[in-house]
Amino acid sequence: MVQETPWQQALRNANRANPYPFYEEMRKTPVSRQPDGTYVVSTYRELVELLHDPRVSSDTRKRPGAIPGVDPFEATIITEDPSEHDVDRRRIMRHFGPPERPDMITDMEPEIRLIFTELLDGMKSKTRVDVVDEFAFPGPVTVICKVLGVPLESIPLFHDWIETALDGLDLGPEASDPEQQRRLAAVSARVAEMRQFLADLFDQYRKQPGPGMLSGMGNDDGPEGRLPGGSLVSNAMLMLFAGHETTVNLIAHSVLSLLRHPDQLEKLRRRPELIVPGIEELLRFESSVQFWHTRSALEDIEIAGTTIPAGSTIFVCYGSANRDPLRFAHPDKLDLERPDNQHVGFSQGIHYCFGAPLARLEVQIAVSEFFRRVQNPRLVEDPPPYRHNQIFRGPRHVLVDIDGIRD
Amino acid sequence: MRIVVDLNRCQGYAQCVFLAHEVFRLSGEETLTYDPNPDDARRLQVERAAAACPVQAILIDRLEGAQPRSVTS
Repeated sequence: MVQETPWQQALRNANRANPYPFYEEMRKTPVSRQPDGTYVVSTYRELVELLHDPRVSSDTRKRPGAIPGVDPFEATIITEDPSEHDVDRRRIMRHFGPPERPDMITDMEPEIRLIFTELLDGMKSKTRVDVVDEFAFPGPVTVICKVLGVPLESIPLFHDWIETALDGLDLGPEASDPEQQRRLAAVSARVAEMRQFLADLFDQYRKQPGPGMLSGMGNDDGPEGRLPGGSLVSNAMLMLFAGHETTVNLIAHSVLSLLRHPDQLEKLRRRPELIVPGIEELLRFESSVQFWHTRSALEDIEIAGTTIPAGSTIFVCYGSANRDPLRFAHPDKLDLERPDNQHVGFSQGIHYCFGAPLARLEVQIAVSEFFRRVQNPRLVEDPPPYRHNQIFRGPRHVLVDIDGIRD
Repeated sequence: MRIVVDLNRCQGYAQCVFLAHEVFRLSGEETLTYDPNPDDARRLQVERAAAACPVQAILIDRLEGAQPRSVTS
């Protein structure tokens, strides 16, 4: 049997709860070629260098042999290069942040606080709760629906589509297993349903404009015009999906990490303002997007003693770079007061997380309120079960025994 | 309060503008302008902006004569 590379082992389902020993092994070769010809970047310095390198494309259509229409996020801001990317990102940002709407996110604070307050109120008579199903998921999904203008009644519908799509994507050695092949087969129909659902919603908002970003984006008469139809739907799908999945995982992981580090939790209880730098550290420690898979080399790129040949796929592994001891002292230690924390949990460069300001606000409120109100939370199983997806890594459930909920 | 933004580090991510647009402003694509002496009432906003900066370019109260002060102290 051929020995698997550390990267292949990191991608195995059995290692989802703790990929870090494999990342440590990977960082011995900062940029490593995998048996399938992909190049994986695992060290901080090299990763940041490539994120800023114009010879690295994010556009899957530019890869040799690319088949158009396969990637559900094709022609979105996450898979476009400049200048297309810059125009489209501005077209969307007009409805989300500065310069046109600098207050939109901060103005949502009371509404977001109320959402998480009600979720905690709902746990009042319980002795055991699932932090994922009862808190980390319903909070962000409600918030993103309100931000975009997606009806709350449709949450169960698109949640099921997204779960199926996430379970179907496997980039590791288990991709060819028959069970995984069956999961993959279900993906395209779910993506098509999701596209149709959003296209219908845009139609509705064109006839009658309503609150939220989708109505704004669909009816925009701004200086750079509206996004073209297909790209409008793809970007909406990206925002609906990425706008909550990553936040769900960050809240679940933050609760888990703090319960695993009682010294840090105690510090946070004494000094609640530590949640502000703390959230950056929690994201460094357990990154919601472990790696990204759509980049490729437009030319031969020499880096860290390796030549990435033109046309090669490049995986940038944020989860590993954020634990690189050459950049972060004692990287496996959670330190809410970590100085100079330039983590790459939201990436860097032109594809820096579009929703980062919303994510920060949500997670600061959610995690603060959880530990302020939940009495004596204890982890029931450690590690908890993890979801299948390798990129959007997070626990499927986090069961916690509690003594009650404070007012 | 007094702040300095290291403009050699700033890459125009605009995270500070989301949190304190009365203090930080992007003119054009990547050029940041800011108020070096914002009102003390904005301290919390500015501290949040400093913590959110992806390249940690915002320095608070670190000018000559001032005591070094981290975001959280």
